[in-house]
Amino acid sequence: SSGINAEWPLRPGGKPLSKTNEKTPIYKMRIFAPDEVVAKSRFWYFLRQLKKVRKVNGEILRLTEVSEKSPTKIKNFGIWVRYDSRSGSHNMYREYRDVMTTGAVTQCYRDMAARHRARAHSIQIMKVAEVKASDCRRSTVQQMHNSKIKFPLPHRILKYNKKSIFVAERPSTMQ
Amino acid sequence: MLYQRYIEIGRVCYIRLGEHAGKTCVVVDMVDQKHLLVDGPMSGVPRSTIRLNQVAITDLKIAIPRGCKTNKVRVELTKADISTKFAKTSLSKKAEAKKDKAGLGDFERFKLRVAKTT
Repeated sequence: SSGINAEWPLRPGGKPLSKTNEKTPIYKMRIFAPDEVVAKSRFWYFLRQLKKVRKVNGEILRLTEVSEKSPTKIKNFGIWVRYDSRSGSHNMYREYRDVMTTGAVTQCYRDMAARHRARAHSIQIMKVAEVKASDCRRSTVQQMHNSKIKFPLPHRILKYNKKSIFVAERPSTMQ
Repeated sequence: MLYQRYIEIGRVCYIRLGEHAGKTCVVVDMVDQKHLLVDGPMSGVPRSTIRLNQVAITDLKIAIPRGCKTNKVRVELTKADISTKFAKTSLSKKAEAKKDKAGLGDFERFKLRVAKTT
């Protein structure tokens, strides 16, 4: 699972932020990472691409995990991704339904790996936003937008019964 | 009807696997085809997501709107008296029997074996 971290670094100077130095720019980013270590690393990775600053010349001021505001409300997430395939770089828009932003991003990483063989290092999450149900574009997400949703579980195969591999009668698959 | 039991809002489910195994809960919303948002205020299941394969569907159902608050679920559960209705289901009885059997001591198991052979 990923956690969101917002980070604040200091720009080149090498000195810790002093109250008198107001001109030193501070940058903040929203990073999705499994832990703090990866979060910091990715922060510098992105910042280097955007600004002329390196980890050596900067200082991380704050690293906080941002927790979900409504962890029991199901949301539709639109995720804008940039990823490197074997032959080039592509942008994508993907949609996921989840209860947490970090859950949706985790789903995205797993989905990208499954569908496009994209490893985490070649994926950049550009933007994550909660999308209203009416604005969703993907059918797999739209199919859950039904206030009277219901479905049966036909032919239910459960994996729990490891003891009985060979049985006299076929198991019942009624739910 | 070919299918009697549906996964739907208000369906009472029995949790088979996981942290809250053995408890009942109510389907409050559905995340996707494999995950449910579930709440069991009377049985101690916090409002959380759960995988479909961790759950067994019961015949019982309460009338709640999609995504309603925990308090409403609690009110509807007590109104429908789900806890006593669930205790009468075969699923509940089998779970009880299984728990009793697991709790047998060596002597009890011997007595059971003797009782079965006579």
